Amino acid sequence: MSALRSRKIKYFFILPSIIWVLAFTIFPLFYSLGLSFFKVRLGKPTHFVGLANFERIINDYKLVNSLKVTLLYVAITVTVQIVLGILLALLFHQETKGKSILRALMILPIFCTPVAVGYLGLTIFYEEGGPLNSFLMSLFGAKIPWLSHPTWAWVAVLLLDIWQWTPFCFLVILAGLQSLSEEIYDAAYIDSSSEWEIFRKIALPMIQPVVIIVLLLRLIESFKIFDVIFSLTGGGPGTATEVFSLYTYRTGLRFFDFGYASALSYLLLAIVMIIINLFFKRIRAVYE
Amino acid sequence: MEIPYAQHYQKVFTDLMTGTGQYDAFFCGADWYGELIAGDYIISIDDLMKDPRFPKWASDSLAPSIKNLYTWGGKWYGTFNDSDGQTLYYRKDILLNLDNQKKFKEKYGYDYNTPPKTWQELYDVSEFYNGWDWNGDKEPDSGIVMHLKVGAQGMYHYVSLSAPFCLLPGDKVDKYHNVYWFDPEDMTPLINDEGHVKALEFQLKLQKTGPDAQVAWSLGEAWDYFLRAKAIYCFSWGDVGSLIQDESRSKIKGKMGNSILPGNNEVFDRSQNTFIKMDPPNVWGNTTGGSWHGVISTLSKNKEAVYHLLAFHATKKISLWNITRGWTGVNPGARFQFLPPEGDGKIEDYVSQGWNADDAKEYLKGEQENFFAKYIAPYLRIPGGNEYWVALDRHLSEAYTGQVSAKEALDRTAKDWDETTNRIGREEQLKSYQSAIGYTK
Repeated sequence: MSALRSRKIKYFFILPSIIWVLAFTIFPLFYSLGLSFFKVRLGKPTHFVGLANFERIINDYKLVNSLKVTLLYVAITVTVQIVLGILLALLFHQETKGKSILRALMILPIFCTPVAVGYLGLTIFYEEGGPLNSFLMSLFGAKIPWLSHPTWAWVAVLLLDIWQWTPFCFLVILAGLQSLSEEIYDAAYIDSSSEWEIFRKIALPMIQPVVIIVLLLRLIESFKIFDVIFSLTGGGPGTATEVFSLYTYRTGLRFFDFGYASALSYLLLAIVMIIINLFFKRIRAVYE
Repeated sequence: MEIPYAQHYQKVFTDLMTGTGQYDAFFCGADWYGELIAGDYIISIDDLMKDPRFPKWASDSLAPSIKNLYTWGGKWYGTFNDSDGQTLYYRKDILLNLDNQKKFKEKYGYDYNTPPKTWQELYDVSEFYNGWDWNGDKEPDSGIVMHLKVGAQGMYHYVSLSAPFCLLPGDKVDKYHNVYWFDPEDMTPLINDEGHVKALEFQLKLQKTGPDAQVAWSLGEAWDYFLRAKAIYCFSWGDVGSLIQDESRSKIKGKMGNSILPGNNEVFDRSQNTFIKMDPPNVWGNTTGGSWHGVISTLSKNKEAVYHLLAFHATKKISLWNITRGWTGVNPGARFQFLPPEGDGKIEDYVSQGWNADDAKEYLKGEQENFFAKYIAPYLRIPGGNEYWVALDRHLSEAYTGQVSAKEALDRTAKDWDETTNRIGREEQLKSYQSAIGYTK
């Protein structure tokens, strides 16, 4: 009797998690799939349109632009964050004075709310007398059109994202480096390898699974980028920084065209799933 | 409850569409009416206005152009609050300086008018004053400043500026006269016709006589630039005039002029497919903007109580208090707020609130000229209105930032508008549009 109660009570404890997943993941997933086959007007499905919303994707030139912007954004930010993360991790892996304080300072940006980072960016990149341009003016006598020029607005967004998320890459990779046994390094030093050789031939292959996980997490997060761009540039100037999620947001929550917004969301899901699958294949290959 | 502009529309509509009913009443832009009415989301206040239990406000005092924005199909929906229309603010002290006038004449060969009569004249003056230190702060100053940031009401500048380039005045609304947005017979977008392209090309030229950063500026930044005495012209809403009175942020109290926007010497006539000369210039008043005001949600369970609150805020005393303070965002549009002959307000109402008397006279003159103009540019209030506005906004911003040409930006807008019209239903939209602009065959 007691064993039976014990078996039942474990279901009781996992019930909240099941309800959570059903309510906030599974239900929206299927509900939005259903919506993607309907024309939706003012938030209400009016009639079944079959695959029309998915056909619309093919001819949507605005979507093509937002996809291009997103892919470029992901490629640049993730690459820079990983490279800088590795370099910083290597630096902090050395014995240096005040390392723990510096490490704590380094990871502070992770705790900032992205929307707040965006609004902070508005102040930093303010063109007429903002702190960054004032500094540049005093040094070089020239200022940069941070938010009014399509390319520079891009740079501003990239800089903020890299500033915020490089510490995350650094922290995880540093943990990976520190988990490696000292004996491996000792053995390598006996073989009189150079620091670079040790990193390239020993440390890097051994932390590769960690780097892949960091890469994977950053890729997924970067594809969903929204907050910083929403608050900093609003997708502008023009459509220069209008990423996929911002375009989907506008379609769904500005125009209330939930049918098409659902179709767009499934497109993003498909892209992210393909990338995840490729990475898992790679991870499996590493481990096998 | 305060909602930032960028989230205002979706928060309110999400509440209405989901039937949540969190808001008994909410402030809306007049351009939301197409959807608010189509969705039966707000109630008419005709009966409440007659009810003696509630505060009386002067609905018959509103300028006709403003009254149109608070009503639909002959019924009142909005309680009076704000009256939006863009007028031209200018630095009277600098423009009337004889030395400056002389130098201008030497360079351009004619005496400029203050305020300018046409956009071309405004351009010349703006170009003349751009790039040199005319205010003595040892920094180069600008001719004009605009707020052109995407998603921050930048498109309204274009709409106000372009009216005299594209709107052929006439006694009534027909296929060719007094129409701006769509062909009233088939909903073909007019936004990329030659008049519009010329207007946008002109605006791009004019933009070069202001700070480069203005393409990323929203209202606050552009207004501050003008208030800091850095630009000669700024065409915007009534907020600017009252903000100028706030000496903690304004350096130009007592130095401002305000007028209806300039006209144009030619206008595109679609019936002849050519530009025709206009003498005197083609001048249009406008009600560009939201004219933000309170409406009552159909979902409200406290309709009478909430009407009482809104009506109280529409009363003369509260309304005057609001319009004399720039930070409230409330601008004048009723006769009791204007000076004679159009209005029955008093200059003392403003001076007692800290206004410079000359500024108050200039301010009210300019607003009056605009709202009581012979021709008022038509306002877009049809279902999907927000989608049309956003499409225009994003493509204009592409042109402002040099990503595409004026023609390409407007062609893209027309394409998007056609898509929206087709998706919502062309016939349904046509009927709504004809009703909104008062078109009959």
